[in-house]
This record gives sequence, C-alpha cells and structure tokens, in this order.
Amino acid sequence: MNGPPQNAAFMVAAYIATAVILVAYAVILIRRTRGL
Amino acid sequence: MTQGSVGRWITAVALVLLAGIYVRALAFTPTELLQGPAQKIFYLHVPSAWSAMLSMGLVGVASILFLFLKDERYDRFASASAEVGTVFSLVMLTTGPLWAKPIWGTWWTWDARLTLTLMLFFLFIGYQLLRSAVSEPGLRARYAAVVGICGLVLLPFIHLSVYLFRTLHPRPIVLKPSAPSLPPVMLVTLLLSFGVFTLLYVGFVTQRYAIGSEPR
Repeated sequence: MNGPPQNAAFMVAAYIATAVILVAYAVILIRRTRGL
Repeated sequence: MTQGSVGRWITAVALVLLAGIYVRALAFTPTELLQGPAQKIFYLHVPSAWSAMLSMGLVGVASILFLFLKDERYDRFASASAEVGTVFSLVMLTTGPLWAKPIWGTWWTWDARLTLTLMLFFLFIGYQLLRSAVSEPGLRARYAAVVGICGLVLLPFIHLSVYLFRTLHPRPIVLKPSAPSLPPVMLVTLLLSFGVFTLLYVGFVTQRYAIGSEPR
C-alpha cells in the first residue's frame, strides 16, 4: 500500500507565506500605532 | 492604556498563539493519508477565509449602521475592517493555490467558489481605492458604505456557491447543518486556528481603528 503523497514543499511554502504576510502587517500596524 | 497599545497587545498574543497553532498542526496533528502534508494547509486557509469573510461581514454591518445613525465611528470601523480583510484575503488567496496545485493539479480554476472569493478580494481593494479617491469625508463615507453593503450581500453566495454550482472546491466540513466531518484531533486544531485568526482580526482592527481615529 502506498503512503501519503510527498507534497510537503507546498505545505512549507503556505506556512511561510502566511507567517510573512501576517507578521509583516502586524509590524506595519505596531510601528504606526507607536507614533500615536 | 491607549487603544493602540491594547491592539498591539492583542496582536502580540495572537501571533504567539499562531506559533502554537503551527506547532500543533505540523507536529501533533496526523498527516491525512490521501492528500498528504498539503492537507495541513487547510488549518491556515480555512481560518483565513473565515477572517476575510468576518471582515467583510462587519464592514457591511457597520456600513448599514453608519447610513442609519450617521455616526462617523461606524465608518471608521468599516474602513479599518476592510484593510484587515484585505490582508486575510491575501492569505486565503496565497494558501488556496498552494493547496490546489498538488491536490487538483492546477493552481487556479475559474469555478464559482474561487471566482467569488477573488471578487471579494477585489471588493476590498475597490473599497479602499474608492475611499482614497473621494476627498469629501461625508461623501466618501456614504459611497464606501454602499460598497460595504454590496460586500455583505456577496458573502452568502460565497458560502453557498459550492452547493449552488458544480465546483471543484470542497464543501464546508464544519459550518454545515450536520456534524463536522473531521476526526476530533484535526477538528480541534482547526477550531483553535479559527480562534487565533479571530483574535488576530480583533488585534489588527483595534490597532487600525486607533490609527484612523487620529485627527488629520
């Protein structure tokens, strides 16, 4: 019987992309609210 | 404590919890047999879609309240929620194709669900372009409110598109009339991720609202 498909690279790319987008936006907001 | 710092704290806590979701999803949630590791993208894709739809839903509700009550705070909230929704839509539209390529064999297909979610993203962008194009504040708020309500009307079509049309996109596995069709360990990871993405939405919007409330 075959094991699960080998597609971990897509998973890693999605997890990295999500972290980059969310952390980048958080940093932008934190820098902007610091000046208030 | 200012509103901005409250938002910063909520965002910081949500990001730490998001790291916890990463650990739980990658190390402590089993790999699905048929889809393999790519199935784990689902723990980010579905909650980001939820947060994007929550953002647009609240833009629409705040827009209706603004038109009835003429309270400028609702307009400010709608503006904040739309910007945050754009970010979550971006996550949804990035993680979706990364799942689709190994599972469907294509990055994108013009089926009803995908096309409508792309429309949602364009509505977020259009909403903000409109706001930046109209300089008179009262007019800007009214025009933006109309677009916000259009976005709210779009949401049920997005959710029901997988039932109304023949699409490649999977049907809801949690937000449906019958019980969730997921093993408990996967369901817990997904529900925790829903919670963290919602908290992240609250943190982002609180900060963005604080920025918007500054006198210009």
